[in-house]
Amino acid sequence: MMSHYEAPIRKPLVTGDKSYHDVTVDIARPIEGRANKLWWIVFSIALFAFLWGLGCIIYTISTGIGVWGLNNTIEWAWDITNFVWWVGIGHAGTLISAVLLLFRQRWRMAVNRSAEAMTIFAVVQAGLFPIIHMGRPWLAYWVLPIPNQFGSLWVNFNSPLLWDVFAISTYLSVSLVFWYTGLLPDFAMIRDRAKLPFQKKIYGILSFGWSGRMKDWQRFEEVSLVLAGLATPLVLSVHTIVSFDFATSVVPGWHSTIFPPYFVAGAIFSGFAMVQTLLIIMRKVSNLENYITIDHIELMNKVIIVTGGIVGTAYITEYFIAWYSGSAYEDYTYLSFGAATGPYWWAFWALIICNMIVPLSLWWKKMRRNIMWTFIVSIVINIGMWFERFDIIVLCLSKGRTPSTWAMFSPTFVDVGIFIGTIGFFFVLFLLYSRSFPVIAQAEVKSILKLSGDRYKAMRKAQGDDVQLYELPKQQPLPNFEKLIEEQESQEEVTEESGNLAEKLILNIGKASKDVADDLKRLSGIGPALEEKLNQVGVYTYNQISNMTEKEFGILDELIQKFPKSKTKFWAGEANLLNKK
Amino acid sequence: MKYSILFIFCLTLSLSSCADKDDPNYQYFPDMYESLAYETYQEADIFQNEQEAMLPVEGSISRGWMPYDYEDNLEGYDLAKAELKNPLVYSEENLKKGEELYNIYCATCHGKKGDGQGWLVQQEKILGVPSYDDQGRAITEGSVYHVMYYGINTMGSYASQMSEKELWQVDHYVMKLKAELEGKPERAFETEADNEKENEIETEAEEKEVATTE
Repeated sequence: MMSHYEAPIRKPLVTGDKSYHDVTVDIARPIEGRANKLWWIVFSIALFAFLWGLGCIIYTISTGIGVWGLNNTIEWAWDITNFVWWVGIGHAGTLISAVLLLFRQRWRMAVNRSAEAMTIFAVVQAGLFPIIHMGRPWLAYWVLPIPNQFGSLWVNFNSPLLWDVFAISTYLSVSLVFWYTGLLPDFAMIRDRAKLPFQKKIYGILSFGWSGRMKDWQRFEEVSLVLAGLATPLVLSVHTIVSFDFATSVVPGWHSTIFPPYFVAGAIFSGFAMVQTLLIIMRKVSNLENYITIDHIELMNKVIIVTGGIVGTAYITEYFIAWYSGSAYEDYTYLSFGAATGPYWWAFWALIICNMIVPLSLWWKKMRRNIMWTFIVSIVINIGMWFERFDIIVLCLSKGRTPSTWAMFSPTFVDVGIFIGTIGFFFVLFLLYSRSFPVIAQAEVKSILKLSGDRYKAMRKAQGDDVQLYELPKQQPLPNFEKLIEEQESQEEVTEESGNLAEKLILNIGKASKDVADDLKRLSGIGPALEEKLNQVGVYTYNQISNMTEKEFGILDELIQKFPKSKTKFWAGEANLLNKK
Repeated sequence: MKYSILFIFCLTLSLSSCADKDDPNYQYFPDMYESLAYETYQEADIFQNEQEAMLPVEGSISRGWMPYDYEDNLEGYDLAKAELKNPLVYSEENLKKGEELYNIYCATCHGKKGDGQGWLVQQEKILGVPSYDDQGRAITEGSVYHVMYYGINTMGSYASQMSEKELWQVDHYVMKLKAELEGKPERAFETEADNEKENEIETEAEEKEVATTE
């Protein structure tokens, strides 16, 4: 007998009495259903923003960088701010899927898929900026060391901007592979459930013929672990390299050895905030509250507290060092007395308030478990982290070593438009993803269902750790019809568990007796045998069937063997019509 | 898969054959390929004759150049023949340069030895090139320079091909060839100091020297 011990202190990660099938149904529902009006409205807005941004990008490239608000002193502003911001956001996804995998954190399973999708879509946005902020983006391919006809003119490998190219492209490709590998079993699940030939074809292609054999799973697990091991140093190095863009320079305020770890912490900080923003909406819209529970949100809030604390420590360090160095130039850096009172005081204080003050509220458990407050804080953090990058870049550039070059930066509508465009593009991708991809890794959630599902935890609690959590497959009778009928009769004695389920079903759909029984055979797919089975469970009338929802059909599915699941979607409607006659 | 690779290969091949040998090839973003400034020999509408190279104003004297005083007629020729002297020192350096220039500009008609048997004469493309030791002509430093400057009979001017200094260098070499043809002894090389007083024309290089010493 299998036995399992889990500390009772652990809270269930899957709530709501879910079985394996429930998990499948819940995750497949957004894909198999149709998008509602709200989705279309939000999608249209995102698409409009994206197209507007695209227009701004085309305008910039065809007219010149001069349409931005940059000047000779501040040559990097919104472009690189947004770049670093998006890259930072992208870091939480890989952190959740890789680092938490290495730490064997089971709660990652409900959030990793969407977090990784967020990573990929955010890195795509980030990847736009290094191209479009170029003066001659059509020569961007020159950053690649390709043999060429200029006497094989090469790139200089000393520039962090070149390292950025390698870092971002590697990061995107590794994340993509990691994400896609994890999607294979889930695509296979969608493929196997698909009813329309087109969907079956598409998901058949996407799932690469995944058949879920033991050897496949074994290798799947190993690949995941290896990729997680590779992705973890990658996450740390990518944002480190992004931070080198500044840290390796001689600009006061940029030249700082704390940047690499501080940027990475900030990336995780802002990335988790973005995950919160998205998942809080997604769990509501896609009805995934049972998988992305309040405990998940609390755990992510704890990560935010930790990384926010690291970032706060870094702020204090920078502020201290600016004073301690005794360098006059450090007085005007983004975290210095000069910045707090200078022309960009509002950016300085926005940074302090959004990143240091507001997240402190999450130390209180009540706030941490408050979804609305978490949502607000997550947005505030993202605003704050945008300001962090803005401050680092613009404040430090605006007051350099020579006072005659001091300048201010003000963005033009093109700067703003491109930023809005990337947000729109991000949501276009994310909204399309949420309707066509399994947003929760069902294969992974199913692997923890019996450990952490509240149904099974309750069973273990009530009946001890040795309780049998599975049912052995029932012996299938040979197609001997006389025997079949005999067996059907003998099956009238239902087991205790299915009895409970039947009670629950009747409770949900209303009680009825044989006296008022309707002719259930008139519903599509119900024959005499199935009618008898339904009667055994206690289902007699059209009225009862019209009350049924997905959930009740799920229960019926468990109670009755060879239950024609595919027909049930018509039943409620048909029963409703018959009932009215 | 196999076919798509083949297709791409064929597409690349057929696209690369689009380049026409009679026309300049296609360019990818020719950002700074064409000059915004006026190039020396380019055509442009705003100029006279749509030609960038315009004539300087007549009578203007540019730095480092002096007009040639003798007129382009028989009188000027005689005058130059009688009184014009080579301002350059008769040095090995000048003579060597003169030889190089002579072989480029003169030898094809006058012959490497100055005997009027150049390649074009040997091919009978032109006729009537006299030898330098022609008694009837009795060329001198002055007359050689004058002829090179203006041209004479079928010979054209070489003033646009060579600078004044170069003309004088060739002049030295021509006089050396003449001496050789006549079987006279070689003239001794001079140094700068020997010839200083006679040196009227300042070459560009010498003028620069003066300018820097001032």
